This record gives sequence, C-alpha cells and structure tokens, in this order.
Amino acid sequence: MKHRIVAFILGAAALVAPALAQPSPSPLPLPSPVEKELAARAANVTEVTLGKGMLDFAAKFMDSNDKDQAAAKQLIEGLDGIYVRSYEFDKEGQYSMGEIDKLRQAFATPEWSPMVHEHESKSGESTEVMMKMVNGEPHGIFVLAAEPKELTIVLILGPIRMDQLSELKGIGGLGGVMGPAGPLGPTGPLGGVQHAPHGDGKDKGKTAKGGDQ
Amino acid sequence: MNRHFWIPLGCAALYIAVIVPWVALAAGGGGGFDGVVNSIESRYHQHAMRIPLMGLASVVAGVATRGGVDGVHVAEFEHFSAPVDGEELDRLVEEKLGQGWERMIRETSRHGGEQTLIFSHPEGNRMGLFVVDLDGQEMDVVQVSVDANRLNETILKYKHRDGDENASD
Repeated sequence: MKHRIVAFILGAAALVAPALAQPSPSPLPLPSPVEKELAARAANVTEVTLGKGMLDFAAKFMDSNDKDQAAAKQLIEGLDGIYVRSYEFDKEGQYSMGEIDKLRQAFATPEWSPMVHEHESKSGESTEVMMKMVNGEPHGIFVLAAEPKELTIVLILGPIRMDQLSELKGIGGLGGVMGPAGPLGPTGPLGGVQHAPHGDGKDKGKTAKGGDQ
Repeated sequence: MNRHFWIPLGCAALYIAVIVPWVALAAGGGGGFDGVVNSIESRYHQHAMRIPLMGLASVVAGVATRGGVDGVHVAEFEHFSAPVDGEELDRLVEEKLGQGWERMIRETSRHGGEQTLIFSHPEGNRMGLFVVDLDGQEMDVVQVSVDANRLNETILKYKHRDGDENASD
C-alpha cells in the first residue's frame, strides 16, 4: 500500500510540476501595478530590463583594446542592472500626479537623495534625478522625465562613475537620457551639476542638490 | 522489493515519460521554441512557415563561428493579419518559455501593429536569446544560443582583417 502511495505521489508531482513553472516577476524595483497601469494606457511602450547577467554578457562584446569601449565595459561590468521604461500617450492627462508620486515613493528611503528637480511650467515638462549614495559613492541613479504625453523612467543600479555615464548612451532606450540634451547628458541638469555651474537662470523651478556626500 | 512495488512505480514512470508530454503537446503546450510558435498559431489562427534546412544552417553557423552561435530556430508568419494585444502576446510567450527566461526588451505599439519581445536565458557560458518581432503583417520568431567569448573572437577576427585590408589600401 505504501508503495502505491509513493507511485501516486510521483504521478501527482508530474501533474503539478508544469503549474509551478511560472515566469518570474519583473525585477524592476518599482511598484509593478503602476507600471502595468501606465503600459495599459500608453500608445507606445518600451521596456528595457538588463540584469547583471545580461550586462556581463553585453560587456563580453566590448573590445578592451578600444579606449571608448573599454571605459563602457568597465562601467557595465560593475553595474547590477539597467531598467528603462518609456510610455508614450495619445493624449495629455493620461497619467496622473498620483502615479508619479507612487513611482517616487519607491525611492523615498534614506539611501536615495534627490539631486535635481526641474519643472518648466510653460511646457509642463519635469525632470527628477535621484541618486543612491553608499559610503559617499553613487550606487544607483533614478531619472523620471515627464512630459504631457510621455513618461520616461530610467533606473541604473550599481557603482556608477558619473564621468563614464555617457558611455551608456548606446544601450537601447538610454540615448535620450544620456544624450547631449538629456537629463544625464553633459548639458542636461545633472550633467550641469557635475561638470559646469548653472548660472543662466533661464529654467524656472529648477533645483539641484549635491546629495549627501 | 516485490512486484507490488515495481508495477505502480513503472506505471508512474511511463505516465511521466509518455502521457504528460503527449497531453501537453495536444493542448498546444510544450515549452521552448515550438511551444511558442504552436501557441501563436493556435491563438491567432495563423500559420508559421518553418525555414527549410534550418537544422543544417544552425550546424553551419555553429561551425563557422566555432560554437559562437548555435541552436538557431526561425519561424516566420507572413500576412499576419490578426490584431495583437501586446500584453497578451507577452504573457503567452512568457508562459510557454517557462522559468529561467527573462524579458529583456519589450516594445509595443498599440496603433502601429508593432511588437518586439526579446528574452534572455543564461546557459552557463552561453546566453539563450528569444526574439518575437511583429512588424506590420510579418512576424518573426527566432531563438539562438550565443557564446559571447567565441562569437566575439570571430567578430574581432573579421574586424582585424578588415582593418588590415583598409590599412593596405
């Protein structure tokens, strides 16, 4: 009788095993329901999720003998993940400030410091940059760029050298953020904090903090 | 051990080895490349065109790249006219690929009929890549296993050869 029970259990296990093989949840440390709601309303959605394994894999294709590629390789190999979410909407007002707040709340921890908050009331565009500081070193960066019909979220986790960030512009979805005029580009808000003082006073509502270094 | 033990155990083993895969396949199941293609066919009532001699092409690719590229599978849906919900397609592919596959890129356009899904799966030194791309009325499903080190060696070999030729010109 005992052996029949064993056989029965084996058979039952065979039936249950496929049901247990469910896909793993999104690794992006953002509130997943917000992501899904935004994606459901957006006309165009771009999601890039590069975990450590994929970044290590991508780094293998970079030529260590090439100066530029070697710098990008060094940066990528140290990172824990790059996550990009871009939502384009048909009409204005298809995302709410409540949703933006929910996205922000995920980073309302002592480790994360607001670096840049820029808002242009005329165009309705706003950019926020937050940085994760560990022992005075940047270990993560979060960018939220909101336009009336477009929302872009970039999260980079792992030790970051600010001077090498622009090397990531070749990675899908990061071109706009790391490009010359992007929030992390050389002339963007954070680029300005790092490399050159803002002094023109053209952008109203812009604040830039140095974090808790 | 008497036969009272072996008979039920043998039945259970036979059940696992034969019946479960058969039922799964009959239900449009089965994982991996064929599972995804079969599910797309049955869900959207489209027929995929398998590329002839793909197995041979995969072997040739493996030899040419010294194992850099292996396990190539390609299926093509021409005249794909069914409307596709990006969320549903993503869910279907994720379910059929099963555990271990992570979505790396998802690009979906509600109006333009464009959907791109790229999944990755670490396989030791190799990386499995699975691509589903719908562009207008054509959908391509591709699976490939890549050894980055070996493929990079091949790429660099041709790069250097190109460089030498340009230098000599």
